[in-house]
Amino acid sequence: MTNLGFLFAGFVVVWILLAGYMFSLSARQKKLSREIEMLKQMHGKK
Amino acid sequence: MDKTLSRWSLVLGAITIPMMVWNLYNIFIFVPTEQSMGIVQRIFYFHVPSAWVAFLAYALCFVFSILYLWKRESWHDRIAYCSAEVGVLFTTVVLLTGPIWARPVWNTWWSWDPRLTTTLILWFIYVAYMMLRNYATDEQRGARFAAVFSIVGFLDVPIVYFSIRWWRTIHPKPVILGGAGSGLHPDMRYTLMFSAVTFLCLMGFLLIQRLRLEKARAELNHLKRELAY
Repeated sequence: MTNLGFLFAGFVVVWILLAGYMFSLSARQKKLSREIEMLKQMHGKK
Repeated sequence: MDKTLSRWSLVLGAITIPMMVWNLYNIFIFVPTEQSMGIVQRIFYFHVPSAWVAFLAYALCFVFSILYLWKRESWHDRIAYCSAEVGVLFTTVVLLTGPIWARPVWNTWWSWDPRLTTTLILWFIYVAYMMLRNYATDEQRGARFAAVFSIVGFLDVPIVYFSIRWWRTIHPKPVILGGAGSGLHPDMRYTLMFSAVTFLCLMGFLLIQRLRLEKARAELNHLKRELAY
């Protein structure tokens, strides 16, 4: 691999990690919001 | 509290995106190429700021763990936990970009050198901290143990920082506050500092997002407890 290849690999790794983490945060937030909404509805019915 | 977090999240998000674009311009176009290592040295402008913000995240975890043990406020514990997770993310960036940079320069992916080894240990300490939190059956007890663990674990941060000054190492010597013979070309220094501020904003943004998530989890647990009665 050339120097440019290593530079490219380095930056791809950084962006994959950051994007993956942001995606995971967003997915976890959506899941929690759904669960909270469901529990609030159950709480209302109780 | 939630409104404040949302506002800060918006502000930091709005600042970070254009700063990151400018940062990429600086790294790929503006800054001169380092003569001995060549173009691959540009990894430095992501590698070093990631290490700095990881240290800052662990320092936050350390401070809020002490505050939690002292005052037993759950929000102190939440900040400590979220900071540790963000710190692990940035340490992972450091541990992955380092070998990619090292391979063409040192002719090896990894060396059991003091700086690399202590950084890997730091990563393991905070991964263990997160596992301790996730697998604790009693939430408050888990938070207490984790707080003590993070205070002790933080001792590795100064060891990582000073490892290149205390021991003979293959890792480059510090370029900032490194003493005689160290230093950077002014354009390189500017690019590094701009990148550090950009990563600081990014860390703040991610930390706020993570805190919002933890707050939602606390609300969910509260609702579950209420429904159980």
